[in-house]
Amino acid sequence: MALTRRSTRPRFTLLLLVLAAVTIITIAYRGHADSVINSIKGDALDAFAPVQSAVGDVTRPIGNFFDGAAHYGSLQSENARLRAENSRLQTQALQSADAQSSYQALLKTLNLPWAQNVPTVPAEVVSNSSSNFEASIQLNKGRDAGIDTGMPVVSGSGLVGRVVVASRSRSTVLLITDPTSNIGVRFGPAGDLAVAAGQGTGSPVRVDLIPPQVPVDKGELMLTSGLQQSIYPPGVPIGTVLTSGVPRGSFQQAVTLAPVADLAHLQFVAVMQWAPKS
Amino acid sequence: MTALLRGRVILLVAVVLTIQEALLAGLKIRGAHPDLLLLLPIAFGLVGGSERGAAMGFVTGLLADLFVGTPFGLSALVYTLVGFGVGMTESDRVGGGWWITPLIATSASAAGVLLFAGLGAAVGEGQMLHEHLVTVTIVVAVVNGLLAAPTARLARWAMDLGRPAGSWYTPVRSESR
Repeated sequence: MALTRRSTRPRFTLLLLVLAAVTIITIAYRGHADSVINSIKGDALDAFAPVQSAVGDVTRPIGNFFDGAAHYGSLQSENARLRAENSRLQTQALQSADAQSSYQALLKTLNLPWAQNVPTVPAEVVSNSSSNFEASIQLNKGRDAGIDTGMPVVSGSGLVGRVVVASRSRSTVLLITDPTSNIGVRFGPAGDLAVAAGQGTGSPVRVDLIPPQVPVDKGELMLTSGLQQSIYPPGVPIGTVLTSGVPRGSFQQAVTLAPVADLAHLQFVAVMQWAPKS
Repeated sequence: MTALLRGRVILLVAVVLTIQEALLAGLKIRGAHPDLLLLLPIAFGLVGGSERGAAMGFVTGLLADLFVGTPFGLSALVYTLVGFGVGMTESDRVGGGWWITPLIATSASAAGVLLFAGLGAAVGEGQMLHEHLVTVTIVVAVVNGLLAAPTARLARWAMDLGRPAGSWYTPVRSESR
């Protein structure tokens, strides 16, 4: 009797746990429990935040020290390079101020929203996702700082992604390189439209739906289209064309983008307090 | 399970979760993160049998799901199956060479990653089957293989299952077993 019990109990436990897991997946997948699951995830982020900060405070200086010691020479040269680039960009900024004002006037005439006037919340990246199946980052601010789910996130001049989970003190941002990310883009003098799809961390962004006859130049900048019901505001730079070409027998071009934002070394980002117009 | 042992198990899970989410989230080996939360059910399955492996898998899987954007509950399902499967081998009672534990941990980790991606694709997340999957599988499997022996010892300590010869700790004998 005891023998029988020993052999069947683990299987019964397994059945119970598998059923529980499948039930959770089903409920979550059907989308009814999205808000509940997101709030549980948010609570977990909040609960874990102090631990994460403490571990970060301890390990960051150590890491920085070794990093700095190992890369002192390259840091110096990078500093010089950044100074030069900074002065070049300052000149460019002065030149583009004029162009921007005419652009704004034009947008006003066309009654289009202007992304640059959206208020932003600066935030620091505290960690990357621990998953191998998604490209996301975690920020050190959340609802208390005015961040909410769905808000676009930019770094410097380029699109980083959008907020998918926001707790009180933390938020998770899905990057534009995540395989589930699809963004409406606009490019070229004619304002051609296409869709930019993520291909995973470290891979360039793929652009679909560009007909073979549309000219695409290497290095060309692609911006968010901001069409109706788009999840991003218009005119935010996504990336520059890395490769383009028409594969044999294909009805669309094979185009990839190098993101404008340096997604591998993000430290500070700006969350745009913008919501799509329903 | 006495309160002391339950406390040990909770402490072990908390420490591994902290290492995984706070330290390893920033560490990438060839673009892939190690997965220590998958190693716990493997270790518990190895030293405590299939039921404990499955239970630990369900707990660590749910914890892992809280911090990622993949379908909620998927890690819980996969880790439960892996923990149970490892326990079925009964390698700990059979005995064998020192290499048995790392070997089982390596193969179980690889199976876990592939099962995770496969089931993810089955519930509509087709992008989880990407070419990077091979690297992810190798990194997770190798890291878990290397850490298998010490983790199995920690699992023994947490469940107070006595000590194998040459152990570095002195277990506290509990009354209820």
